[in-house]
Amino acid sequence: MSTDLVLTYVGFFMMGAIALIGAVLAVSQRNILRAALGLIVSFIGVAGIYFVLEAEFVGVVQILIYVGAITILILFAIMLTRGLMQGTTSGHNSQWLAAALLAMLLFAALALVALGTNWNVAATRVSSDLIPKIGAELMTTYVLPFEAVSLLLLAALVGAIVIARE
Amino acid sequence: MSLSVPDLNLRIIAPVLIVAISALVVLLGELVTSSAQKRGLGYASLVGLLAAGGAAMGLWDAHAVAFREMVRADNFGVFLTLTILAGAVLCILLSFDFTRAHRIETGEYYALILFSVTGMLLMVTAADLIIIFLALELLSLPLYILAAFKREDERSLEAGLKYFLLGAFSSAFFLYGIALVYGATGTTNLARIAASAPSEMLLIGAGLLLVGFAFKVALVPFHWWTPDVYEGAPTTITAFMSVAVKAAAFGAFLRAFLVALPALAMDWRVVLAIIAVLTMTLGNVAALLQANIKRMLAYSSIAHAGYILIALVAMGGAGVSAALFYLLAYTLTNLGAFGAVIALGEGERERLNVSDYGGLARMQPLLAAMLTVFMLSLAGFPPFAGFVGKFLIFGAAVQNGWAWLAVVGVLNSLVSVYFYLRPVVAMYMSEPVEGWGAPRVAPLVALALVLALIGVIALGVFPAPAIALAAGGLGR
Repeated sequence: MSTDLVLTYVGFFMMGAIALIGAVLAVSQRNILRAALGLIVSFIGVAGIYFVLEAEFVGVVQILIYVGAITILILFAIMLTRGLMQGTTSGHNSQWLAAALLAMLLFAALALVALGTNWNVAATRVSSDLIPKIGAELMTTYVLPFEAVSLLLLAALVGAIVIARE
Repeated sequence: MSLSVPDLNLRIIAPVLIVAISALVVLLGELVTSSAQKRGLGYASLVGLLAAGGAAMGLWDAHAVAFREMVRADNFGVFLTLTILAGAVLCILLSFDFTRAHRIETGEYYALILFSVTGMLLMVTAADLIIIFLALELLSLPLYILAAFKREDERSLEAGLKYFLLGAFSSAFFLYGIALVYGATGTTNLARIAASAPSEMLLIGAGLLLVGFAFKVALVPFHWWTPDVYEGAPTTITAFMSVAVKAAAFGAFLRAFLVALPALAMDWRVVLAIIAVLTMTLGNVAALLQANIKRMLAYSSIAHAGYILIALVAMGGAGVSAALFYLLAYTLTNLGAFGAVIALGEGERERLNVSDYGGLARMQPLLAAMLTVFMLSLAGFPPFAGFVGKFLIFGAAVQNGWAWLAVVGVLNSLVSVYFYLRPVVAMYMSEPVEGWGAPRVAPLVALALVLALIGVIALGVFPAPAIALAAGGLGR
């Protein structure tokens, strides 16, 4: 095993651990604000995995959008909602055991199949001019999905206003 | 860097574009209209939908792909496009007076319906999992809002929140499925997935896609949201959701499984057959127990999803055309049934309990007769559209070696007769209930009911042209 590969493994498991710890925090904290902070840790861990896998662009986007925008929005929503800051909520309900079992089952099935799959490994390394290529693809092959997303965002925007206005 | 522009064949997505543009026009129109003029926005929506229908008819026999095989125009897609548009037109006709009576008459109401229709049309035209996912979200998001549109009504808010949370959850499964399918095959294009070697990973991906589709069309065990959402949402929206979402999601469901995953058919046919049995049985049995007519129709819509699933299990040309015909028949019939419920409302009050229908045959003989026809069609009585639809689906199942599934379907239809006839019996046999005046039916609601009625009878008596149009249109 080359040092390069060892480093990749070490980085992958470190980042994976961070993502997992954050996720456990997010679902186990009784204070909803702390749960949201756990989510940030988890998002950073996932971004780290992208960096280890040399998908820098996706990693940066993950940090900018998920850590920078979405969690901040969640925090604002919590702080601006009366009663949510003081009280604690419980992530437990009567179905938690059944849900946990089903989730484990799904995980086991996915993990078994993932380990047994012969993944197509890309023959060439990711080139350094990735971002221009992504931009070009968005404007050519993926131009229709790109436009569909813009329509989707507009619908979401209108919907949010309809729900929120007095 | 030079860009090679893809084949921007706008004609292929013309119906989608026209509806999207109408949505934007209505949204802008909201700004410049007074509250008395909101009706005009409804008429504008109707014009947009009809224009889209015209554009869709122009795509008949076009057989083309565009945008690097992201979308495909085939007769399968055109048939479903027209079905969805018919559903949307009837829904808007029913909405004019309903929204005024319930004080939800705004431009956003119509714009959100049009956004949702845009997603639906894109979904049945999609030839790529990415487009299917985005279309699924585009059709769902406006519906979450519309379900909660009556904001002073707690049930409506509850419906919107439940639908949103569970819908987002199921979308995550769907997206995970797409990722795994991509990992297994290296593509998201339906035709190219079919060309790659099947693997266990592809099977797991297909399973997660199934969860996403099953949630949208309300198959057991992913149906839990349906009764609460259908009951809480404004009735016009319930009517729209119960038919158009099914047509769109089943369209993509059929296309994804029949075009991209036929190699795995041995595996998924058995699973889908079991789900179909559970869905039909639970839907019909639970509908027996409902006193609220919206909840009853919600469980009935679950049962109908089970019948349509039989057509997917049957596969082949017969299965596809049976599913298409059934979706059209179900769209007209169910909108008719909900339309009659809406027509019988009085201001903000609605006749939600079966007992509220007592004695209506004497006060409103025409309306009572219409509701009877729609209920009989839902139950699958000849000579109405529902009968022909069930006949085609069970016929396709028998033809392709799934006779036992057809038998389960027929038994379920028999059970369903009981609850479909309960409001009918109340209308003709019971005494009128106190506190209800004779309903006055608004002209546009009457128009919608008559259109649905003509469709239900025409499809039942002369099914041949529609069957011919539904046959063999799935492009690969």
